[in-house]
Amino acid sequence: MTSEPIIAARGVTRRFGGLVALDNVDLDVPCGIVQAIIGPNGSGKTTLLNALSGASHADAGSIRIGGNEIFRLKPHRIARLGLARTFQTIRIFENLSVIENVKVAAACHTPTSLFNIVTSNARQQQSEAEINSNAREALQIVGLADRANDNAKQLPYAQQRLLEIARALASKPKVLLLDEPAAGMNMTESMTLLATIARLKNSGITILLVEHNVRLVMGISDRVTVLDFGKKIAEGAPSEVQRNPLVIEAYLGRRHRHA
Amino acid sequence: MGQLVVNGLALGSIYALVALGLLLIFNTVQIVNFAQGQLLMLGAFIGISCAVTHELPVAMAWAITMVAMALVGIVFMVLVYFPLRGRPAFLVILTTIAMGIVLENLALIVWGPLPVSLPSPVRGPPLRFAGVVVSMHQIFIFATLAVILLLQFLFLTKTRFGILMQATAQDLHTARLVGIPVNRTIAVAFAFGAVLSGIAGLLVAPIFLAEPTMGGSLGLKGFVVSVIGGFGNLPGAVIGGLFLGLIETFGARYISSNFRDAYAFIVMIAVLVAWPRGLFGEKSSEKV
Amino acid sequence: MKSWPILALSAAVALAVPVVARDGYIIQLLNIAILNAIVVLGLNFVTGWAGQINFGQAAFYGLGAYTTAIATKAGLPWIASPFLSVVVVVVASLMLGLPTMRLRTYYLAMTTIGFGEIVRLMIVHWEPVTGGTSGLRAIPGVSIFGFGPQGQMQHYYLLIATLGLAILIASRIRHSVLGRAMIATRNSEIAAEQSGVDTIRTKLLAFMIGAVYAGLAGCLYASSIRFISPDSFSGTQAVLLMTMLIVGGMGSIAGCVVGAVALTILPEALRFLGQWYLVLYGLGVIAVIVVAPGGLASLVSLSQLRRANAG
Repeated sequence: MTSEPIIAARGVTRRFGGLVALDNVDLDVPCGIVQAIIGPNGSGKTTLLNALSGASHADAGSIRIGGNEIFRLKPHRIARLGLARTFQTIRIFENLSVIENVKVAAACHTPTSLFNIVTSNARQQQSEAEINSNAREALQIVGLADRANDNAKQLPYAQQRLLEIARALASKPKVLLLDEPAAGMNMTESMTLLATIARLKNSGITILLVEHNVRLVMGISDRVTVLDFGKKIAEGAPSEVQRNPLVIEAYLGRRHRHA
Repeated sequence: MGQLVVNGLALGSIYALVALGLLLIFNTVQIVNFAQGQLLMLGAFIGISCAVTHELPVAMAWAITMVAMALVGIVFMVLVYFPLRGRPAFLVILTTIAMGIVLENLALIVWGPLPVSLPSPVRGPPLRFAGVVVSMHQIFIFATLAVILLLQFLFLTKTRFGILMQATAQDLHTARLVGIPVNRTIAVAFAFGAVLSGIAGLLVAPIFLAEPTMGGSLGLKGFVVSVIGGFGNLPGAVIGGLFLGLIETFGARYISSNFRDAYAFIVMIAVLVAWPRGLFGEKSSEKV
Repeated sequence: MKSWPILALSAAVALAVPVVARDGYIIQLLNIAILNAIVVLGLNFVTGWAGQINFGQAAFYGLGAYTTAIATKAGLPWIASPFLSVVVVVVASLMLGLPTMRLRTYYLAMTTIGFGEIVRLMIVHWEPVTGGTSGLRAIPGVSIFGFGPQGQMQHYYLLIATLGLAILIASRIRHSVLGRAMIATRNSEIAAEQSGVDTIRTKLLAFMIGAVYAGLAGCLYASSIRFISPDSFSGTQAVLLMTMLIVGGMGSIAGCVVGAVALTILPEALRFLGQWYLVLYGLGVIAVIVVAPGGLASLVSLSQLRRANAG
């Protein structure tokens, strides 16, 4: 854990045709905290996450994760550098079982040797055993260990979200990006989620969170960044940001315009 | 050399027609019909049945064929589109291929495997100028393409129904919500798409003989043209078609005529390597 | 996960069949079915697991067969032919795979169909070497140190053993990092990438492995059936292979074998229909897709699910 921010992004810009989704955004995420990105709909939150994870590259800017420049790297390379994420719309692997879903990510740092696989030699068995225990551990953390062999499709919605988190954890990330993890959850489920996020933070993972649920955000975050129309308009401790007139206007102003 | 250009353009016009039929269906329901070539074959044989077997005047054969193909298009829609709405594209592809197999083998049963010829609807001595011979049929091909393009343009942009079709093509769900008779526009798309291929068949048969297995390669060339011109892009399809016709004719003459069918694929693969999303961007299957 | 009793039963049935059905014609038919099953298992990697549409599998099958036929007829010892077939097929799969790994759905379908056509054209027009449309006859059989299977029944056991090996390897791949990566790629390429899967490399590997399965099956086809022609590896065959995969149930190893056997025997059983067979076959494919797109495997797992919930 260094004093260097684990995510250091400068001048991140993304355009879709004529629309500027991200406008010269700077972002610093200190190591080991929970930071939230909030903002009205269309402010560019998910676009920023996509740029960080490599899912949809930014047009310009520099992004350093743990000191490594990742601008325009393929997502799987960024994953191997220690960044994992969940998605706004659930993207579990439907044709795999729950534990197999997690094993995919658990193998993140394992090279595949066709020879070992085909011969099923000792090294292969050992590798599979390691992946298996990593995967079980991750399922344990989110509380899904008892459903390990079920088909992923069969899980109810909230548990599918937890599965995504378990999968993200299995690659032993240094940074975890959560994209609206509480979407569609009820009060109890959100509280469980909050507790899980706290536990993850304690284990040393830095968490960057995109959320609409303001109460959840304020409850768990150490730091909040606010985006509006692709620009960063505020950043700081939750209580400060809450009182910031620009932030209030961004949210309320929207409500007024639509009213 | 000029002769090769004329021949290439004539061939290319036919390819363009196949592509137009394909794109009409694709633009409306986002289905690529892998049986488009078999529809071409069907058009050719219906024409032959009328004009040769039953010795009807060629003009009447054309008229009957176009009506018949429109009906075929609608049957096609009923068998393929409605049952498979919302299914993954892969299964739709396989279904249209299966339809192609059905049509091809029905044709083999009805008309037998031997190649047959169809007379051109126009007669007369060929034009000669600048050392180039242009047959009446070739002029007819160019004329037909021009007329069809004009009619299609006028229909889609100037008539009310045509504008409704464009709306359906852009956003089917919204069109339905707004009360546009979506099923009717889809039916017209299928019917017209089949007719276009049928006409292509009637134009091809006088040049190359018609036989039931001709659909496969001609259909694939329709795709190649669509890819080159940019999927969904109608003027692009025309340019792509003419371009392919030229490449094939020159290739057959200067490289090897055995592989004339292969040039289309090589060009297509080359285009797709450079532009994996096609020249005008195929819809990505996953949005982030 | 297969259960041991079913596996043992299937193995027993497979071994007993040629003893029970003495007719040489039926056994040869089964031999072709087994070879098709190996090809479909290969296709399963590419399309069933990695989700890449591939209408070029018949071309790899043909490349393997022709390489073997040409090599052995030219006098090379048989043992060289599987290796040669694999080399040819791997090179071909890279030539097709590398430029096309970024393509999707329709473009992928068209490109693989085009590839199949190009291979077929090459075979048909390179007459001095490939015998053109008439094909190649009197291909030397399997021979290792002078020993080789004689007669349909011995070939059957050789092929069954090969199929067993093919199934074993496929199963091992399925339950490994690679197999899971393939399925993940098919379900959600983006989520797979974010989980550390190099999806392009995974697709390419699936493609190559699938091609190798087909190429080796082709090698054995040439050496057991002893006669090949371009018709056996045409575009229609490619569609037929895809149908076998779907009917059996995409993604299921057992489904591949069942689908292949069923759809190899069916045309023979319905031979009396003549040209109508293909018409009905096409309509049948459409019916299967509409009614049970998951194939037989999905019907099986559906009933298992019902039993599990009821019990």
